[in-house]
Formats: sequence, structure tokens, C-alpha cells
Amino acid sequence: MAVSDLIDDRLDGDETPALRFVLNGVEHTETVPARMSLWELLHDRLTLQGTKLACSRGVCGSCSVLIDGVPQASCSTFAFSIDGRHVDTIEGIAAAAHPLCEAFAARSAFQCGYCTSGMIVIAKALLDREPHPTRQTVIEWLSSNVCRCTGYAMIIEAVLAAAERGADG
Amino acid sequence: MASAFDERVRRRDAEAKTTGGATYGADLAVAGMLHAKVLRSPHPHAAIVSIDTAAAAAVPGVRAVLTAADLPSGITPYYGYIIKDQPIVAIDTVRFAGDVVAAVAADSEAAAAEALERIHVVYRVLPAVTTIDAALADGAPELFPEAPPGAVPRYGAGARGALRPRSNVSYEFAYQTGDPAAFDRCDHVFEDEFRFSRMQHFHLEPYVGIASATRKQIEVWTSTQNPFPLRRELARMFRLPENRVRVNVPLVGGSFGAKSNCKTEPVAIVLSQMTGRPVRWCMTFEESFFTNSQHAALLRLRTGVMRDGRLVARQSEIFLDAGAYSGASPLVAEKCGYRIPGPYRYDFIDTRCSCVMTNTTPAGAFRGFGGAQATWASESQIDMIARRLGITPYAMRALNLLHFGDPFVPGETAIDSDLHVGLDLVIDELGAIERTPNRGVGFAIGLKDGGGINKAAQARVKITTGGEVTIDCATVEAGQGARSSLCQIAAEVLSTPVDRVIISPIDTDQSPYDHGTNASSATVVMGRAVLAAAERVRDEVLRFTATALSCDPSELRLENWHAVRGEESHSIAELVLREFGNIGFQFAADGFQKAPLDERAPLDSPCVFWEIGWAAVAVAVDPGTGKVTIEKLVVSGDAGKAINPLVCRGQDEGAAMMGVAQALFEQMVFDDGILMNGDPLVYRVPLAEDVPVSFVSILQEQGRGPGPFGAKGFAEGGLLPIAAAVANAVDDAVGVRITELPISPQRVHRALFLQKSPTVGVTA
Repeated sequence: MAVSDLIDDRLDGDETPALRFVLNGVEHTETVPARMSLWELLHDRLTLQGTKLACSRGVCGSCSVLIDGVPQASCSTFAFSIDGRHVDTIEGIAAAAHPLCEAFAARSAFQCGYCTSGMIVIAKALLDREPHPTRQTVIEWLSSNVCRCTGYAMIIEAVLAAAERGADG
Repeated sequence: MASAFDERVRRRDAEAKTTGGATYGADLAVAGMLHAKVLRSPHPHAAIVSIDTAAAAAVPGVRAVLTAADLPSGITPYYGYIIKDQPIVAIDTVRFAGDVVAAVAADSEAAAAEALERIHVVYRVLPAVTTIDAALADGAPELFPEAPPGAVPRYGAGARGALRPRSNVSYEFAYQTGDPAAFDRCDHVFEDEFRFSRMQHFHLEPYVGIASATRKQIEVWTSTQNPFPLRRELARMFRLPENRVRVNVPLVGGSFGAKSNCKTEPVAIVLSQMTGRPVRWCMTFEESFFTNSQHAALLRLRTGVMRDGRLVARQSEIFLDAGAYSGASPLVAEKCGYRIPGPYRYDFIDTRCSCVMTNTTPAGAFRGFGGAQATWASESQIDMIARRLGITPYAMRALNLLHFGDPFVPGETAIDSDLHVGLDLVIDELGAIERTPNRGVGFAIGLKDGGGINKAAQARVKITTGGEVTIDCATVEAGQGARSSLCQIAAEVLSTPVDRVIISPIDTDQSPYDHGTNASSATVVMGRAVLAAAERVRDEVLRFTATALSCDPSELRLENWHAVRGEESHSIAELVLREFGNIGFQFAADGFQKAPLDERAPLDSPCVFWEIGWAAVAVAVDPGTGKVTIEKLVVSGDAGKAINPLVCRGQDEGAAMMGVAQALFEQMVFDDGILMNGDPLVYRVPLAEDVPVSFVSILQEQGRGPGPFGAKGFAEGGLLPIAAAVANAVDDAVGVRITELPISPQRVHRALFLQKSPTVGVTA
């Protein structure tokens, strides 16, 4: 809903752009309504339901995905804008057995789990840039997302542990 | 085999939740479903003169428009706990800005939203009362001039309740014990007033539900903590037999008390009945702020002490801001009033707590359930009295703390943790801080009766031919990890690996009965039901095996689905197949748990256990800005026995960070009844960067809980003491006492200004 509130008037709402993009390493072709958000495309049409919709305003980070490696709020991104881009979601990160998934699971760095996909996505973006971040850097990155359950300490520790494990392996 | 309670045992939902595989209410869809949206009142208080829905109904894709006029006859369109005063959609009057006026079901959310813009409502604005003080003022406009629809629950010794004892008060709880003359013996009597702010739950999964309903039966898939009480409430409202209402509950994406009783369900049900289609209503995040909140409060305490610091008597008068509808407020008032003594001995207690109706968002269950308000006032005043008497806050507490085994009040369950041990732990961990100017330390102890009142829980444990275990029970997983803990309890009893145990999905047609997932009760109350069921099914398996092996059951024990007798080990799967003609079998047994009724207990049933949160905090105050920085925070709770130590840690730290937010910045801000920050962009919740630089949680396992293996509940205690501990530390640092939350820079700066310029005619 949020995205359609903000839609550029120059776009006709009935237009259906055809997109080519790489999703979790696989090439896709989709034709989407101009008003469709990336989250709707992923969650409802492509049934990648690991990406969670919460605030719908691009604030909480629960719906984060990577677009060309950059974390973005899929609720506030138009589906058509991923034409020609690489999109990675929690499902792709998990399929690659990223150490972050293991670290979050082993260290109970989640509770309700609704923010967890977004947390892992943002942490992956961080570790891709900085494989050995300081605790302070981890805190700064994670502060773009909200977790209401954990109090964050266990999430911070999981990201640091994953970084260490990634370095070992 | 390793203990099922080992720290390395993962939560049963760990893999799903860390790989994107977990499905929540918000992810569900039912074939053919429509989407609902609601129109909300822009006015805090108004009469509805007319509603014109013709243009809305004409929007393409719109299937139904619901207003009060469309509510089916023969239903009871109001809900609530003790007082049922909240309508499905506003009937004649709106009572807060955000009240539901009309609802639309359409093929898409977009069509429903478009239709809302075409509903034309004419309001006659009424005078509103938007604060506790305004609602209690003489001649204040009334939200409900008529008597509240409800009945006072039964109480035991010393407690009573009253419906509408005065204008704009829907309910009052009162409790008294001891001799009122105790005040006359006191060397000093101190009267202080405290104000508590109101937070929103901010659960990340929005309120969401799907209903498929006719006039004869209802099925809902909904994000709720309390499936069976919801079933009963819906059956009552829609006048159906309870067994014609079916409630399914998937994983819940956070709740903290919010998702209790009716939320999306009644609107979705009526729209489904109107359209003959399933209807999904997923609220926006902003709508959460119009649906439920914590209780703001005004608390007046009068406490009598001897000059050596011994507490003698305490009176309280507490007003909770219940918002526009009663919801769970009478129950919260009961608990807030009851908990105001805190963990101390008195000769006399006299407490009253009222639900004040205001034209604001309805308040309801929120982690702490009145305990956070009570602890804020009580633990602040204990410190203030200590300082006035010239004794240390530690000595004051050490002198007065209840001991292990002391009853909280006559007839109530004895204190089941050593309170002194916890206090010393957090203070020792905090350690000595450098006594530089503007730095200080504070501590506090929060206490709440845990496990709910008179709660009943049933569970069934089933074991397949191959030894795989399924638990049927209606404990909701909202993040707290209870369903994993229940698996661990069953695994321990059955001597089987935890990963062979699952819990079946919640469906009130199939799941055994339960009073609900609240009051930190699941591990203890449902835990005991699961424990009993697991022990019974284990014994049944041993009897079966003993018969097959021609021995006595007492000679056998279970080990990883083998019957072990001395050096022999027999595959139970093979014995089952032999007995049941190679087809197989499933063993099953039920367990049941309920606290007894006891009229000697003030709340009619002794509490199940005491949930206690200890906190010690070191702060630095910037005198230039008034900003308070928590330099170190130590929290601790007593899990009795930690079924899952990491889960316990997460509960304590998560609750504590909610407390940090409440202490320092988080609150819903209203201006004349209009919520000014009901938006995720401006409503400030704690982020990773708000975690204190030094944040330590200490897990105690004192071993004396009533739950399986000595466990106690653990989900709320961490929140209780934080705000008071911070206020106490600020006083220690700079000598000003903040009695209103949050302890914002503005408030501290103002207090410091007044401290330096006491003659300036500014009122705080």
C-alpha cells in the first residue's frame, strides 16, 4: 500500500512493465503492474515468503532484500525497478548455507522471528563489505532494522560469531 | 544421552526462522478471500449523524460495506473481558480518534482503500476527555453514561471490585489487609505521586486475521495469544455453539500482550457473512496504534515507616488510563493494585486502582500487566524514603525484603525466590563505579504474580511406532520459545532427543483446551500439563513393553525409544509391530493442570509463582542537556530451572530493553486526543545503538519454581525494574528526582534548572 501511495503520476497504473532480473542466482522474467511493490512480487507472486512485511514504510527493515548487494526495503521499492538487477532474499542466503543463518540459529538470536530475515540480510550486506567488522560497526548496521523481541545483544553476538566463522572457513 | 535442557539444544523453530521458512498469520491466504479495510474516526469523541456508503459500494471490486446499520440482528456486537463495551463498528458514537466507523471488503486492498475514501460520514463533535485528570474533573463529559455491561469477578479475602464507582471510571479494584491503625504508629508518613507513560506494543507482524463465516459457523485463522478464550468470545457475540467456532493460530510475529481477545476477527467475520467469501483483514502498522496500548497511569502512594527504615503501612490510589473501551483494563487494574506493595513486608496495605475512560486508544494487556506501573512508583518511592531517612537504598531494601517462604500477603503463595540473593548478584556485577560528578547508580526489584489466575491447561502427548513424539497443546508461539520448551520437557521425560519432538498446529477443533498464552504461564502451567501427559504415556509404553517382555514395568526404563532392562535393550518399534500386526500404533496420554480455587487468596486462587526482575544500573547525566546515558545495565531473573538457557536470556534482555525505552524515551504522545507519533517513522523504539555499552543479564536458577524440574515463568520480569532503577540512579547522580516517565533530557534538564533556581516560579 505504501508504495502505491507514493507512485509517480507519470506512470500509468495499468502499465505492466516486463522485467528481467536475477533472483537468488536464477534468471527470471516477469510482467508486473506498475504499482506492484517488490515485496508483493516476491512474497505474493513468487511465494518467497521469508521476506516479511511489517511497517510498510521502509523504516523497520523486516522486508530487507539485497539489490545488487545493497540492502533495500522491498515494501518501498517498486517491482519494476529491479529490471536488470540482482536480487537476493533470505531464501537465497539460506540456500547458500551462509554462516549467518547457522549463527542466528545456534545462538538463539531471534524470538518471534519476524525481523530475522531482514536482520540476516542486512548483516550479510555488512559482512560482504567488511568481513571482520568491529562490534561498533555491527551495531551501526543493525540499527537500521528493528527487533522488538531480543534486546539486540544476542543478534550482535551472532553477527560477530558468523564473521569469525566466515573468516575461519 | 545429553540433557534436553543443555544450552546447545536449539529452539525447535530455529531453522525455519533463520532461513525464511517460518509462516505467520500475515503470510496466510485462503482461496477466494477478499480484503478488508476500515474507516476510522478523525475525532476523539463524536456522534455519528449519518453515514453514506453508496459511492463506496459502487467502487469496482467492492463486495460489501459494513456500518452499524448492517450488523446482523440477533448478535451481540460488543466485546471485552469483564466489561464488554467495545462494538464491532461504532454504534452511534465514536470514542477515540481511530475508532472503527465502517469497514469494506473488496477484491483487493487497493479497492477497499479507495472505497473508504468514498464513505461520507457526518459527525457531531462532542467534548472529549483525553487525559486521566480531565476525565476525573468535576463535570467532565462522560464516555459511557450508562452502567457498564459486565459483572465483578469473584474475589477472595480482602479484595473487592466495583463497576463504575464514579463518572468515567469503569472499574475499581481494591484490596486491604492488616490494621489501618498501623499508620498511627509510624514515625514518618510520605506521600508521593508518580506518572507512568504509555507505550505501544510495536509487534512487527501487524494485527491480521482471516475469517470464513456463515450465520451457522465460523472459522478464523488469526494472530492471537488466546485461541480458546477467543473462541468463546466469538461464540457469545455471534450466538453460536462454541463447537461451531474454530480458531486456528499460526506462528505469531510478536505480541507482548497485544494480540488478546478480539482484534481483526469480528469485522472479518461480519464481512465474510455478508459476502459469502473468506475475508482477510491485515491492519497497517499505523493501525496498531489505534488498536491497543499500554496503560498510562497516575499513582499516588502514601507509605508509613519507622525512622530506622522499617516499612509499616502503604496506601495507594492508582488511576490507569484505560482509553476508550474497557478491554483487559479491569484485569490490569486488579494486578496493578495488587502488586503495589512490591516485595516487602508491611503491617497494613490498602490499595485501590481504577480504570479511567478517556477518548484515546484503548489500553489493554501489555508485558508486565500493571506490574510495570506498580514497580515504577513503588521502587521509586522506596528509594526516595531511604534518602529522606538518610539510609542507603540498599539497607532500606535489605531491611524490608520478604524472605523466601514468606507469603506476599495473607492467603497468597509464598515468595519462591531468594530476593536478597538476586539483589546482591546485580549489585556485585555492577561493581564499583568511579564517583565522578553527574554519575550515579540505582537499583530496583520488580515483582509480579505469574502464571495467571486459576489457569487451566490440557495437553496430549503422542508417540508413533518409531518413537516420534507429537505434543498437542494450544500454547501460542509468539517468540517467547514456549513451544520449544514444552518439547524439551517431553523429551526429557521420554529420554528421547529433542529433535524427535514436535508440537502440532493450534486448531481449537483439535487441540486440547487451554486458557491462553499469557502471564508468563506456558512453561509452568502448560509445562505441567505436558509433563503429566509425557509421564503417563511413558508409563503406558513401559507397561506395554513389560507385558511384551514378560517382566515388571519397574524393571524397565526408556532410552531413545528402547526399553532398557539391565544390559538388555529392546527396540520398542519392533515390539509394537509384533503386537499390532506390522501395521503400527500410536501411544497417547493426556495431562491436565489447574491451580486450585481458594477464597483465602485475595484473587480467588493463589498465584502460580512469583516472577521477579532485579536490575542495577549506572548512569551518567549531562547537566548541559539533561541527557541520561546508561553506562552499565545489569538485569537478572530467576528461571527456577532454565529449560532453555538461551531462550531465558533472550526473554530477560528483550524485556529489559523495553524497560530501557520506557525509562528514557519511548511513549505515545497525544495532543488533545490526537496521537502525534502513531507512525513507525516517528515513534521511537529501541535500536541496536540504544543497547547500553555494558549490558549484562544474569540467569538465576534457584530451583524452587512450581513448574517442571523447578521452572518458573520468565517473560516479563526484566521489564519491571528498569525505569525505577534509572530514576534512582539519576537521583544518585545529580540529586533530582524524576517522577514522570520517560526520563527525557527535557525533564531532567528542567529538574536540574529548578534545583539550581528553586525560587523561580516555574512548576515542574
